[in-house]
Amino acid sequence: MASAQDPTSQTPSSRLEETLSTSARVEELSDSDYEEMETLTRHEEANQAYLKSITSPIEDLLDTASSEVQDETLRAVMPFLIGNPNDFDLNSYGLPTLQREKHVKFLKQSLGPFPPQFAAMDASRPWVVYWCMQGLTALGQDISEYSDRVVSTFSSAQHPEGGFGGGHGQLPHLAATYAAILSLVIVGTEEAYASINRQTMYSYLGRMKQVDGGFTMSPNGEEDIRGAFCALVALSLLNLPLELPPDAPARQHGLTSFLDNLGEWVSRCQTYEGGISAAPGNEAHGAYAFCGLGCLSIMGPPKDTINKWLDVPALINWLNSRQSCPEGGFHGRGNKLVDGCYSHWVGGCWALVEAAAGKGIWNRAALGRYILSAAQFKKGGLVDKPGKRPDAYHTCYNLAGLSWAQYDWKYEKSEGERGELDAPYHWQLDGEYTEDVVWDNGDMVNRVHPVFVVPFGKAESCRKWFEEQTWSSKGTG
Amino acid sequence: MPQKFYHDDPEWADIEPIAQDDGPHPLAAIAYTDEYSEAMGYLRAAMAKNEFSERVLGLTEHIIGLNAAHYTVWLYRAKTLETLNADLKQEIAWLNPTALSHLKNYQIWHHRQTIIEKLGSPEGESDFISTMLEQDTKNYHVWSYRQWLVQRFGLYTEEELNWTESMIEEDVRNNSAWNHRWFLVFGVPRDGREVDEYTVQREIAYVQEAIRKAPQNQSPWNYLRGIFKQTKRSTEDLKTFALEFANVNKPDDIFSSHALDVLADIYAEEQKKDEAKKALDLLATKFDPIRANYWNYRKVLLDQPEVAA
Ligand SMILES: [Zn+2]
Repeated sequence: MASAQDPTSQTPSSRLEETLSTSARVEELSDSDYEEMETLTRHEEANQAYLKSITSPIEDLLDTASSEVQDETLRAVMPFLIGNPNDFDLNSYGLPTLQREKHVKFLKQSLGPFPPQFAAMDASRPWVVYWCMQGLTALGQDISEYSDRVVSTFSSAQHPEGGFGGGHGQLPHLAATYAAILSLVIVGTEEAYASINRQTMYSYLGRMKQVDGGFTMSPNGEEDIRGAFCALVALSLLNLPLELPPDAPARQHGLTSFLDNLGEWVSRCQTYEGGISAAPGNEAHGAYAFCGLGCLSIMGPPKDTINKWLDVPALINWLNSRQSCPEGGFHGRGNKLVDGCYSHWVGGCWALVEAAAGKGIWNRAALGRYILSAAQFKKGGLVDKPGKRPDAYHTCYNLAGLSWAQYDWKYEKSEGERGELDAPYHWQLDGEYTEDVVWDNGDMVNRVHPVFVVPFGKAESCRKWFEEQTWSSKGTG
Repeated sequence: MPQKFYHDDPEWADIEPIAQDDGPHPLAAIAYTDEYSEAMGYLRAAMAKNEFSERVLGLTEHIIGLNAAHYTVWLYRAKTLETLNADLKQEIAWLNPTALSHLKNYQIWHHRQTIIEKLGSPEGESDFISTMLEQDTKNYHVWSYRQWLVQRFGLYTEEELNWTESMIEEDVRNNSAWNHRWFLVFGVPRDGREVDEYTVQREIAYVQEAIRKAPQNQSPWNYLRGIFKQTKRSTEDLKTFALEFANVNKPDDIFSSHALDVLADIYAEEQKKDEAKKALDLLATKFDPIRANYWNYRKVLLDQPEVAA
């Protein structure tokens, strides 16, 4: 597919002609892949017609490393968007049904135990537990059989000076803290809540706050937007005071609140492309976009905070551009490849953005197609893209993505303050999405909280429980 | 690599290792090798007594070899190096091959940043980063580290710009390279100075040439739109350029959806709603139908006075 001549030497219209004549790259690929097949089934024909209907006739001829890996990706994905190479049962739209039982089995196996070569995961065990718990509940599983084990697994990962680490003896880290708290929120028992040491957590979060407004992930660790999001998740769910602890280093520079300079800092992470980066100056990236929007949606109602701190039209344009065509799934950055985990990282941005800017601005059906057709692994679990192995991470976030496609949310600030950082407790289900769906009832996953990414209702229960506890922190009054 | 143990090492005879306590029936448990398990036991013990010593450096090096994604070990190593006033150049020499074999690792880059910050010199770093990017031209951590390096040492140089340009030449779709160029030229306002007109013109010419190579490549379009937005200049030139690739009245002569997107914005700004609608309709129905909902949403916004104003 290389074009030898210099395309800049041509007039636009002659180039267009050439573009159009060779633009059916997608169809060519799919045709050749299916040459040996005698007839297309009714479903395959329908899928091909759909793909044709959403594919733009424009395609550049210039080949670069990026277009080569994109072509390779299409070669891997197309057979799954058209046919059914896994031989799954088909739903009434001709797409593979959600392989619920297989995914449940996969996630249960993903809870370990693991052989020695998994040592590289030693610092990420809280994540594994969270992905499995969230994934299982999304599939409608009762996870109470794991309650005690979740609590005991994390009790040794809690650091004496506050926060959670990856395991016993590891330093506290905001990512581990985030994953541990969310796992305990999903368990949702009094034992789970009570196992978190709020006092030391408060002091640890105070040590992570930086003068420029952001948060580091660990003591002397990197400062990025994950830190800001994870810290606010902890502050809000545990109903901690917004006032910085007396020993927080940022106090020496005049800061008094966890929110000081935070909006400004998140704002500095929005790039010229409209997306949000890990830290000011870095490249816009889907996962960091979710963290940034999540952070703002905890600071206040999204309509207020997102509009106040971000250029929303630029953000929406950038988010929309992340949907790969014709794959339908999302990628994380410009000219990168579709990947199932962005079903959540980008897909999850929409509920928050729609609460700030109006509804109906993205393509849910195309995402649903990618997840059902291309992201389900034959033996269970979900994947980045066809050809990759499943893991708990991609399983959890593909399923969350399916939930973003299937449900509509609305944000309603009701009367009566619930205290500090109570903004994320005003979300309500606005029904199921029904317009151009490609899933049946049997393919529905459970509702997921738009900010906390836990089963809807669980965050509210947690916050309520902590609101009823008396807060005492030595020296903070 | 031969295994290494500590229980029979006289140098560690004074240390009672702390076994990992995971409670009963832990989830996501790992059947560690004896070697890893023991090394971690000695590290926990060393950390519990706040020991920062040469032997701790050796121990952390050992564990990183077994599990480079262990942030605790990296952080404790950094603190040990600091306490011992260790030779940091030697540390960088050790880090280089380690980084090459762990491309996607977060911790290694933060560690490097800590060390280079203390060393106070970026010497050799640009070359090393370039080697890393040859392996993975869009590695987020490596680009982010390079941005830190530029900012920390003020490397807003001709040389840096030329290198970035060579990355773009190699793959005009490398969005990370475009972002780095933006960072160098327009990114962090330095001394509150505006970017001078000569530079802005140079950038516009450069990016336009890049778009002509592949008009459906969004990376340079975003860059171009970014320039007009940041410098608040009249969009007249942008419109003229976009019209090279799309004319809403010649729907058969369109070969960049991004040009249509730009035109839709400019027409909206100029209160030419019908023209804007034509552009958005072309996008929704033919040139970018997967995003039809979005283009239709933009059409609705056209009729909302506060947005059009
Ligand atoms: Zn992924």
